[in-house]
Parts: sequence; C-alpha cells; structure tokens
Amino acid sequence: MTARITRRGALALGIALVAAGAIAAVIVAFAVPGGSQFPQLTPRAAPAAWRQVMLPNGTAVLSYPPSLRPVHSDKGAASVARLSPSGTYVVYLNATPRQGDETLRNWATFRVNLLRADHAASAHEVSAAQGVRFRGGSGSCVIDDYVTRIGAHHYEELACLAQGRTGASVVVAAALASQWATAQPMLEQAVAAYALR
Amino acid sequence: MSFTLNRSAAGLALLTALLAGCGASTGSSPPGGQSSTPAASTPAATTPAATTPAATPSPTTTKSSGIPQGNGGDQDADNNGGPSDGDGNI
Repeated sequence: MTARITRRGALALGIALVAAGAIAAVIVAFAVPGGSQFPQLTPRAAPAAWRQVMLPNGTAVLSYPPSLRPVHSDKGAASVARLSPSGTYVVYLNATPRQGDETLRNWATFRVNLLRADHAASAHEVSAAQGVRFRGGSGSCVIDDYVTRIGAHHYEELACLAQGRTGASVVVAAALASQWATAQPMLEQAVAAYALR
Repeated sequence: MSFTLNRSAAGLALLTALLAGCGASTGSSPPGGQSSTPAASTPAATTPAATTPAATPSPTTTKSSGIPQGNGGDQDADNNGGPSDGDGNI
C-alpha cells in the first residue's frame, strides 16, 4: 500500500517537472524578441592593423578594419564602409554624437521608431540589452533589421547609445542582411573596441 | 490515507509547475551584466516623428519622414537607400 502510494507520488512529481520545463521553455521563448539573446560584448582594443577615427568633438574613437574606407557622413560624425561595385553599402560603421531624445533607457524603442519614421519601410527589433560595457563607459544596444524605403535594401544592424565621461554618442554597425552572418563578428569587434573619452 | 497522500502529491506537482514558470520569466538575462530588454518591457519612448518637424516628402518618398529621402536632407547615405547612421533625426 505504501509502495503504491510512493509510486503514484513519484509519477505525479515527474509529470509536474516535465510540465514545468515546458512552461519555462515557452516563457523564455516569448520573453526574448525574435527568440534571440543579445550577444556578449566584451570591451577590447582593436587589432593593431585596424585604423581609428576620432569624433570631431573628441568624445569617442571608432576603430575599423582596413577592408573599410571612410565615406561621406554628417558633419560631426564619422563613417566607414565597404561598398559593392554598384555602390551599395555592404558593410557600414558610423559614430555620431548623441543628437536627439535618445536615452539609455529608451534606446531600443527609440532606434527602431527612428528607422520606421525616417529611412525604413519596415524595421524590427531582434534583441536588445542595457548596461553594456564599453571602453570608457557603458551603454544600451539593439540589434534590429530594416528595409530601406529607397532601393528596398535589407540591412541588419547593431546600434548602441554609449555614454562616456565627456559625452554620449551612437555607434552603428550595419551590413546587408545577406552579409550579416559573415560580417557580424567583425562588426561586434568594432563595437567592442569603440572607445569613449 | 491514500486519498490524502495522492492529493498532497498532486498539490506539490502543481506548485512546482507554477514556481518553475515564474522563475523562468525572471531569469532570462544573459551573463556579463547585460540585461536583455524585450520589446514588451522597454519603456515607452517618444517617437522621433513626434519631436521633429514634419518634412515635405521628396518625389521618391512613399511615406512622410523626418528627413527627405532621395538625396534629401544632409545627402547622407541613409537618405539614398543606404544604412541608417546614428543621428537623432534632427
């Protein structure tokens, strides 16, 4: 009699554990946008062969590999890119002093809303993180993808608002979605090397 | 007695399932001090469109936007179908 009761109890407990695992898996899947975790970014100096460009206001330094070249950007900003033979931006890095109403708390939503309101026909958040450590500061980051209104180019980007001692700036690391998997490690390395003053 | 023990086991099972579910919903942060911020939990943000003056769309623009597309605004790459830069749309 006692053994029978124990077996029934163990069976019920086993069923409960399986159910708990299933519930946990469902909750985790819905808690993270797109089911993706934000990658770990560890602040680290860029390789010696990389080049550097400082923001004109002196608040940050963007490092980039020799495969990228400086391109036109807004006054006060810095941009480098690799373009296709037809002139399409394939890989793109940009650093810009903070200009708008973005904050460390609202960054992910701000960025995606900005894309939708300005350049993109559609934009979706993939993952985001706050409290990201940078060289000389900390920030908030978002990974998203969007399709431009002109040309319908599909880009994926890692964009961060970073706060240093002397100022805040935005660093954008983007690539055509078709090239994202290949470019992402280099782009993450560039963001991890982004140095705040 | 059998009925009481079975009911206790069932209750324990239900409690375990509920606790596991609650624990999972608060334990999704990645390591290293970086906290994942799902869209649903991100504080509501003021959209750039609400804080910037409306701009007249260029002929090639299909929707109203903060900075005119088609080489408009600052003639930056992102006004010509390129990737978006980090400006705050001002």
